[in-house]
Amino acid sequence: MEQSLMDKLTILADSAKYDVACTSSGASHPAKRGTIGSCYAPGCCHAFTADGRCVSLLKVLMSNCCAFDCSYCVNRKSNDVPRATFSPRELAELTIEFYRRNYIEGLFLSSAVLGTPDYTTERMLTVLRLLRNEYHFGGYIHAKTIPGTSPELIQQMGYLADRLSVNVELPSEQSLHLLAPDKGRHSIFRPMKQISVAGEESRQELTLYRHAPKFAPAGQSTQMIVGASPETDYHILQLSEGMYQKYGLKRVFYSAYIPVSDDTRLPALDTKPPLLREHRLYQADWLLRFYQFKADEILDKDNQSFNPYLDPKCNWAVQHYGLFPVDVNRAPFEMLLRVPGIGPKSARRIRDARRLSSLGLDELKRMGVVLKRAQYFITCRGFSGAHPGRGSAGRERITRTLIDPNVFSAGAEQLSMFAPPAVDRLVEQGVPPRAAQRMVREEAVQCLARAL
Amino acid sequence: MSGESTVMPPRKLHDADVVYLYDGSFEGFLCCVFESFAQHEIPFAVWTPQRETATLYPVRDIETDSSRAQRVFSALGRKLGRETEYLVSRDFLSGQEDKELLLIRFLHLAFALGPGTVKRMGHPDVAPLYEMKKSLDWEVDKFQGFVRFEEHDGMLGAVIHPKNYILPLLRGHFCSRFPEENFMIYDAVHQAVLLYQEHKAQLLELAAPLELPPPSAREQEFQALWKQFYDTLEIKARHNEKGRMTHCPKRFWQDMVEMR
Repeated sequence: MEQSLMDKLTILADSAKYDVACTSSGASHPAKRGTIGSCYAPGCCHAFTADGRCVSLLKVLMSNCCAFDCSYCVNRKSNDVPRATFSPRELAELTIEFYRRNYIEGLFLSSAVLGTPDYTTERMLTVLRLLRNEYHFGGYIHAKTIPGTSPELIQQMGYLADRLSVNVELPSEQSLHLLAPDKGRHSIFRPMKQISVAGEESRQELTLYRHAPKFAPAGQSTQMIVGASPETDYHILQLSEGMYQKYGLKRVFYSAYIPVSDDTRLPALDTKPPLLREHRLYQADWLLRFYQFKADEILDKDNQSFNPYLDPKCNWAVQHYGLFPVDVNRAPFEMLLRVPGIGPKSARRIRDARRLSSLGLDELKRMGVVLKRAQYFITCRGFSGAHPGRGSAGRERITRTLIDPNVFSAGAEQLSMFAPPAVDRLVEQGVPPRAAQRMVREEAVQCLARAL
Repeated sequence: MSGESTVMPPRKLHDADVVYLYDGSFEGFLCCVFESFAQHEIPFAVWTPQRETATLYPVRDIETDSSRAQRVFSALGRKLGRETEYLVSRDFLSGQEDKELLLIRFLHLAFALGPGTVKRMGHPDVAPLYEMKKSLDWEVDKFQGFVRFEEHDGMLGAVIHPKNYILPLLRGHFCSRFPEENFMIYDAVHQAVLLYQEHKAQLLELAAPLELPPPSAREQEFQALWKQFYDTLEIKARHNEKGRMTHCPKRFWQDMVEMR
């Protein structure tokens, strides 16, 4: 039976949607005469799905006929789902037509293991060659390397794609061994290292020869599943930091595990995806990349999980309350970044503006500092820090302004996406969502105030 | 100086009860700046013929004079630096009602304090410029992604409804993206068209609204594929309508094929 293009697209987009990375950032060049497609360094979102995620690339699998049997994956061999495979020409043409209509920024090509890893990669390479050489496509291409592919093929892929990625999948070797027996630790970290080395060599060559071929100019990224295996947040964050430093990754993506099978080694099918945890991991990841934090400062051996009620930055500020308040007009840039309510943008603005005149509260407000949170942590011209009041009431006032509003932003009927487990438990016992939230919130405020 | 007091004492900058009326062009605006500096006054409002309403204040017609405009513009670059020049000319594209007045206030401050004024982001006369730039940049960024082309006989056409006049800012992006295509983007709010044909881009003002012909069968096929792809991508377990609305507010939906 011949499948229509519509069927194939549906099946292969559906299988690819659990891959988180859909960014088109990091590469930048205009289209040359006679070609089509440019890259835009900050990346570009072309649509937003009903779950609020950005659609930037045509994210599909080459094929979802898989030879592997990873238990957390919808496309595993033993799962009974409709299968489909694109022909290279079909996929290349679809990419170009979508691109011309400005639906997408480029192609995100991944694949299930069709036969052997090398055969699958060859097939993916055919698509990339068609796009680059025949259609003269200069837009963004993100290609996923298949675990177990030979290094020569990865090398070829790097010269065709803008970004490569190798999925770590699970945060530890034991979990990998247990849940994805076909993927060894080596089959993941070896290509990751190869890509980082080849990218570095290519960058050096480019400084010597302007027309040297570029190897994955937008670098590489990876992703891992959170909540399918027992690793702690501390462990995951350490792993991310290690990969950022060792392999020069551009991004690490985290995806909350959504149950897809009733395998006994995995969380039960009715488990809710740990969205709050994923959210906290992204916040911490941001602190590593843009706020000059170290993983050890965010979590440590004694506190291995994130605080559900405070974002990691506020959590750090509360634990180091003795270092505050800081003088906005004098504090070093690194310290400005650590004040709750000041982000990288407003920190840079403060650094530029304080050279010209000393800053007061009005100026800070106009620069985009969130004074509601920052007031207890800063002093500036004409302002010597807000006084919350004495004793426990004062401490409660501080924690009340710091507590993460996203966690408690539910309506009367529905819970927040990021509802903490404590609220979930109360709701299960029959407490209305709003009341449950209020109870948990009060308790959290007092508990945090005591620790301050 | 001679004994005769023909030299007037320096006049102070003051708020004047007068409305400037200019033709809406950037050159015209620079002439308003010239007038404001020549008279040492900040007008009550600056209007274009489209925004003109009844008022008790006297209205002064500011004529567009390109030599004056040139004088102001070169002073802008020479005395205040590239960054100020960029900020002012970019903010002029904003759709905000009182943008001219905010810019004139800023320029009085900047010519008094020098090229560092753009860095005083906390100053009440400087901060609004960054607000405007933020809203402008946000819209440009969104439309770079949300413009949806339809193919009609080999020509790509799109309709947009932006708040700011962003066509000049979209030009670079789309021309460097599709050098071999012929395309047009029609701004239905400002009645203007960005037309790119045979490697040349033009900005045209239109007298009458434009209507795109209905999509062909082949075009509908691709629209259906795209819609299907878009709908498939949602992960039901993570449904988040609010998240979508913050990133893609409803005012964009009318021109996006998958949201209609």
